[in-house]
Amino acid sequence: MADGPLRGVRVLDLTHVWAGPLGARFLADLGAEVVKVEAPMGRGPRVFPRNKLIGGWVGGGPGDEPWNRNAVFVKLQRNKRSVAIDLKTDTGRATFLQLAQATDVVIENFHPDTMPKLGLSYDVLATENPSIIYFAMPGYGVEGPYSERVAFGPAVEAMSGLSDVMGYGPDERRNTAMALMDAVAAVNAAAGLVTALRRREATGRGAFIEMALHEAGVSYCGPWLIEQQLGNPIERLGNRHPGMVPHGVYPSAGDDEWIAIACRDDDDWRALCSVVAGLDPAADFTTRKRDRLEIDNVISGWTAGRYKNGAVCTLQIAGVPAGAVNTTPDMLDDPQTRERGFFVPIEPGPTPMPGNPIKMRGISSADWTPCPKLGADNAVVLKGWLDYSDEQIAELERTGVIVDRPPQ
Amino acid sequence: MDRILEIGGVAAGYCGRLFVQAGCEVVHVAAAALAPSEHSRAALDLYLHAGKRRIQTDDRKIIGELADRADIVVAETPTAQELTALGFDDWRAPVKAAITPFGRTGPKRNWSATPSTLLAMGGYTFLMGDADRVPLTLPGHYAEFQSGGLAYVAANASRLAEEENVIDIGMFESVMAMSQFTTVLWTCAGEIRSRHGNDFWYAAPSNMFRCADGWAYINVTPGFWDAFATGIDRPELVLDERFKTNAGRVANHAALREIIADAFAPLSRAELKARATEHRFPLGELLTFEEVLNDPHLAGRGFWQQVDGACSRVASPRCGWRIDGAPPPPLAVSEWERPRG
Repeated sequence: MADGPLRGVRVLDLTHVWAGPLGARFLADLGAEVVKVEAPMGRGPRVFPRNKLIGGWVGGGPGDEPWNRNAVFVKLQRNKRSVAIDLKTDTGRATFLQLAQATDVVIENFHPDTMPKLGLSYDVLATENPSIIYFAMPGYGVEGPYSERVAFGPAVEAMSGLSDVMGYGPDERRNTAMALMDAVAAVNAAAGLVTALRRREATGRGAFIEMALHEAGVSYCGPWLIEQQLGNPIERLGNRHPGMVPHGVYPSAGDDEWIAIACRDDDDWRALCSVVAGLDPAADFTTRKRDRLEIDNVISGWTAGRYKNGAVCTLQIAGVPAGAVNTTPDMLDDPQTRERGFFVPIEPGPTPMPGNPIKMRGISSADWTPCPKLGADNAVVLKGWLDYSDEQIAELERTGVIVDRPPQ
Repeated sequence: MDRILEIGGVAAGYCGRLFVQAGCEVVHVAAAALAPSEHSRAALDLYLHAGKRRIQTDDRKIIGELADRADIVVAETPTAQELTALGFDDWRAPVKAAITPFGRTGPKRNWSATPSTLLAMGGYTFLMGDADRVPLTLPGHYAEFQSGGLAYVAANASRLAEEENVIDIGMFESVMAMSQFTTVLWTCAGEIRSRHGNDFWYAAPSNMFRCADGWAYINVTPGFWDAFATGIDRPELVLDERFKTNAGRVANHAALREIIADAFAPLSRAELKARATEHRFPLGELLTFEEVLNDPHLAGRGFWQQVDGACSRVASPRCGWRIDGAPPPPLAVSEWERPRG
């Protein structure tokens, strides 16, 4: 587990997919003791179907325990512990209630009915532990006309309004098709949780916090929603920008290689003109806006014959905001990511994983632990949090209430 | 409650917005000139700066005095060297968070950046847009908002631990940290994730479809396939050998897309929404910003926060979370104050 300012904060993490696990991982990276509470089949069956996984396997293959090697899952679980417990059994539920008495936070992103049906609603948990912070991340909220709808990031994005501005032009709307709102919700989740922890510190009170994926997405679109009310124009501009010219993505040498370039002001423009021949350094913003297409053609002519990293370096030396359109191998090789140690080879392989974007004194990836195996910490947590005996733990194992591999 | 000093642009402003929502006293300091945004200054002020005191100055002495009196300083500058030049290292606030494009160290710490260059370098741009066309950047201030949120998390964690600390957030790293499966697809499966228009591609069907009165986006991951086929009155699809597995649906996505397009064409967004709710599959109707503002679900949940500006009153989205169901208090954008030493 990582050390950090959240050391001593206990979190029971029942989340799945992307937003919830990433939000909880931010807390784990800052030192919180995050226990992933997993269903026995939560990582899939013991015998995996031979279908290709979306993100492949850590360590290069499924190995003897394929359920522990799903890369998309593993990526989100470092610095956490794993307790695999069957909450649908009376004993499992009772054990979870005891864990809830010993924790600071419970976080889940189920349908609003799921935890109440398990007899584990906030009201029940708060009876056991009045200072508990219960963080619910239902797709559309615990109540309201859409609360029964199924939410995933790409579908929620459509309902946030973002497609009003995302796309190649007025008639070509696009979705990011990458579940953007999950990432937005993950940061919101971590932010909401530290807010509640500080509130509890000040008041002594626990809390029920609700954070809907949908509302996190709409909140992200706030400035456009306000522009709409102010009567200001909102356009789908492709790679153009209303306040910067030039602003675009330009081809570079190679197959599907590109460079993003933008000029924030006249200084950036003059710097660009010092590098790219055929542009008028005296052109002001109005002129550049008028001549946008011509300018883009000149820039494309310059970039198309150059490799992206070299061209970007030339532009940056001159003071022009420019960046290569990177793929993952590009990012792994980037001198900046290497010097700051951003990618951390924490998982089997070794497999480098994106690191913690928060850098601060007292935290380091040197003490990180990889994704735990399913149920790897059953005994550690039950003994450490609840003072269970070896006999009690053995009985839970014998009856299948806790497991360290998916049931047959 | 903590006293927050927020210096700089959109990222620091977003961080300060979260502190306002948490009930903190926030002072926003900005120089007269800011980098151009897609949004008007008025819209950004209403969204980011409601509920804050606002001081316009670039006087380093005044900023330093304000910083020394704060519990938390959040400072955003265009490069690392500008942060140092501002006096960041000398300020005596117990918690100081720096937000810069590339962080305070490393060979690119003083590189120039905009939201679009950061998204490009951070791996997002390559994934967005059509396969055979120029990649698309993401409109808005994603890198800044996410970085501001992370600064908020780190600063609060430090205060919770009663630790003095200095936080270094690089927006480039904030983008890379939120890469979904893009990175492991390369490191574990040897594939470079690429762009496929509106098609999520790795789970099918996931795409945008035209319907009778607009568009809808579906994201049918394998567990929802049967419900989806039933919900659009095409139960025979479940038995179709081409579509029995996700791999089959991906391989035959063109044929499947055609079938779905036919099924959606006569249906309204309301009808599709009703079917998605009844049969429980993920579907979102494409809404315009105007429609979002009039969405009965959001209104019914008390989502909007009243914000008053100098010449306008608007409904602003509350922050993503709500504690114990508390409604967001109305806020106002204050006038700029004259600097006081």
